[in-house]
Amino acid sequence: MTEDTAAGRAAQLTGIWKSYGPVPVLKGVSLALQKGEVHALLGGNGAGKSTLMKIMSGLVPANAGSIEIHGEPLTHASPALAQQLGLYLVPQEAHILGNQSVLENICLGLRPSPRSLRKRVEQLIAELAVTLDLDAQAATLEIAERQIVEILRGLIRDARVLILDEPTSALTPFEVHALFQRVRKLQAQGVGIFFISHKLREIREICGTISVLRDGAVVLSGPLDTYSDAEIIDAMSRVATGDAPLASTRSGSDHGPVRLAVRKLSGEGFRDISLEVRAGEVLGLAGVVGAGRTEFSETLFGLRRQSAGSVTLDGVELIRRSPRGCIDAGLVYLPEDRQQNGLFLEAPLYWNASSYLIHRLPFLLRPGRERSLFNGFRQSMGIKCTGPGQSAKALSGGNQQKVLMAKCLSAKPKVLVLDEPTRGVDVAARNDIYALIRQLAAEGVAVILISSDFDEIELLADRVVVMAFGRLGGELTENISVDAIARLAFGAGEQAHA
Amino acid sequence: MLNLVARNRVLMLLAVMAAACLALGFAAPGYLSAATASVILSNSLVLLLISLGTMLVILTRNIDVSSGSILGLSAATLGLSLNAGASLPLAIALCILTGVVAGAVNGLLVAYLRIPSIVATLGTLGLYRGIMLIQTGGRWIEDLPQGLKALAGGIGFGVSILTVAVLALFALAWIFLRRTRFGRYFYAVGDNRDAAHHLGVPVRRVQFTAFVASGACAAIAGLIFAAQIGFIPNQAGNGVELKAIAVNVLGGVSLLGGSGSVAGVFTAAIFLTSIDSALVFLKIPAFWNDFIAGAILLTVLLLDGRIRLLIDRRIRARRYAVHDRVPQAAETPGNHADKTLLAEASR
Repeated sequence: MTEDTAAGRAAQLTGIWKSYGPVPVLKGVSLALQKGEVHALLGGNGAGKSTLMKIMSGLVPANAGSIEIHGEPLTHASPALAQQLGLYLVPQEAHILGNQSVLENICLGLRPSPRSLRKRVEQLIAELAVTLDLDAQAATLEIAERQIVEILRGLIRDARVLILDEPTSALTPFEVHALFQRVRKLQAQGVGIFFISHKLREIREICGTISVLRDGAVVLSGPLDTYSDAEIIDAMSRVATGDAPLASTRSGSDHGPVRLAVRKLSGEGFRDISLEVRAGEVLGLAGVVGAGRTEFSETLFGLRRQSAGSVTLDGVELIRRSPRGCIDAGLVYLPEDRQQNGLFLEAPLYWNASSYLIHRLPFLLRPGRERSLFNGFRQSMGIKCTGPGQSAKALSGGNQQKVLMAKCLSAKPKVLVLDEPTRGVDVAARNDIYALIRQLAAEGVAVILISSDFDEIELLADRVVVMAFGRLGGELTENISVDAIARLAFGAGEQAHA
Repeated sequence: MLNLVARNRVLMLLAVMAAACLALGFAAPGYLSAATASVILSNSLVLLLISLGTMLVILTRNIDVSSGSILGLSAATLGLSLNAGASLPLAIALCILTGVVAGAVNGLLVAYLRIPSIVATLGTLGLYRGIMLIQTGGRWIEDLPQGLKALAGGIGFGVSILTVAVLALFALAWIFLRRTRFGRYFYAVGDNRDAAHHLGVPVRRVQFTAFVASGACAAIAGLIFAAQIGFIPNQAGNGVELKAIAVNVLGGVSLLGGSGSVAGVFTAAIFLTSIDSALVFLKIPAFWNDFIAGAILLTVLLLDGRIRLLIDRRIRARRYAVHDRVPQAAETPGNHADKTLLAEASR
């Protein structure tokens, strides 16, 4: 490990304070990042990680404290200045200019013209072993591709300090592997990297140093190998670790009758998908990004048109499905992209909680009842907020996801389809959501869990169906393991490329 | 073919225009002449400039509805200073300065004081018109000097110095938006403000500049207006801002910001003006103008929307067609070593 000397520092944050209104978010945070160091930054919901990174990259001004990048001070909050000093933040949610080409998206804000940078971008793409059409209109990109664009933005800028905010949340394991190789290369070149992630395994793989934030203060900081996983999780959540670690929570094998039966469903992006879910069962629907899982579930929920097949819920066929019809029948879908498809970000939380029911409410709404509906969920799920009237955009990712779950549960689902329910959610909130999924299954709800995080599937699913390239790639009923899932998810894909 | 039409609003407008012109040529012989073209061009100068300024603002995902009032206010400044004995160059400079200041006020309100542009420019729409009325005491400005009116006179080939100036401005705008980094920022800010900010684009400066440019365009339009008709009524420029927004929409500029081209705006403005002149040739009473212009606008947009939908569907179908080739491959047993490697990578 590099020694901590002023000359060896890539970035230095000293006594950063920040409050939004009366609530302090950061209480005098000091952090040092060495050149050539990959520094993990962990923290629960609302710990202040995102705010800290936004302050560092000049997006948000701090109330007090100083930031130095390679010894030069960030005198005022300006992303342009931060980038001039050599710092770039790869945000968790990609910022995309939909009307511009992918290449222009990557090169915007740089001095050389996109055309002259094309070669270098192509080289980076090859190095990351991803496929990306540089001339495509950026609006057509999938979430994962958008994240790759963001990563490329960071790499092409020759940043001396790079902040990666959950860079792997939308990537396939293969792409993660390639990204890590690239990160190691940058590390060898002396680039300092802050690596934000909720996945301890990734952190162990790539990071040398760790800092944990809790309630706006650094509670743990030092070389990674000196801390055990339990110690780290313990530092993150004030709650004792007793209920936190990812103990396997698979339920027994005796499930109820078949709730949802899908027969040979075909549509845009997938073909001939047949599956069944029983009451009280958690069915994992695994696959890499782009395997057609989201298209399948959106078609199931009536958001897209099906071209063939049938869907039966409790023995009744659902024909000409619409989202409202599905909700009324008891089939509820939690969408993948909570910012875009899930939440009403400006609206108060209780509007969000009752939004799946709005068509059943009387013409004259009763806000009091909606509020108490939300308050019920707030208590049972532990949603951190100032009150039911707070707007959804003010919440952290984990809490937003809980609100989204509350919205789904308000419709009293028989079958619940969860599309990436823990993306961008910290460990503590993730465990809350896992517990909730288990509890729902125990209450007799049939759950379809869609996830690219194979650990999550391994942990929760009673049975796993794997999709690859729009088709059923296989099914696992016992010995569910990450390896087995990965083999099925990639097997067909690798063949197709060969 | 379909792709070409949808991607290129200019081509589509030109095609519609060509068809309309041919039909008109048959219906009213004498329509297809250089004289008509010259009249249409000079009649569209004011609309062209206002539309150009409005476009710059719309690109950054704002809107400017005060440009008609800026036109009136700067024209009044021009007329009053001329009638007070100022020289023509000085009066023109004052006129443009008025537009720049008015635009800068808009920009200040929107970019720095963060007032939504529709609200801010609705406010200044009234404000600027009010200042104009106070300046002129509510009277029309007449007896403008010959020197001003001479600007609208021909300098050969049926074009005036004003026409040349407007064409030059369009060329400049085209180069600016297409070929300069700051021009690219206009698109970026309108497309995704957060992303632009994140990437170090000076978002507020871009928005501010757009409003200033719009004000300057409106002022020059005021100058042209005064030179062409020879007096300045109280209502000069009233309602032209809405027509300019229609031109932008017709020309393929997205009201959501971030996309549109100078060529589209130019073609659309000429197109709308030529409808007016065609109606004259067809001896259709002038009160039909608005109705027909509105109907054409809706027709073009509807058609355009349908074509775009169709293309989107095709693109999606092509993308998903990839999946149809896979199953045979999936059934053959794969290379085991590769799979192990992948499983390893996933750990």
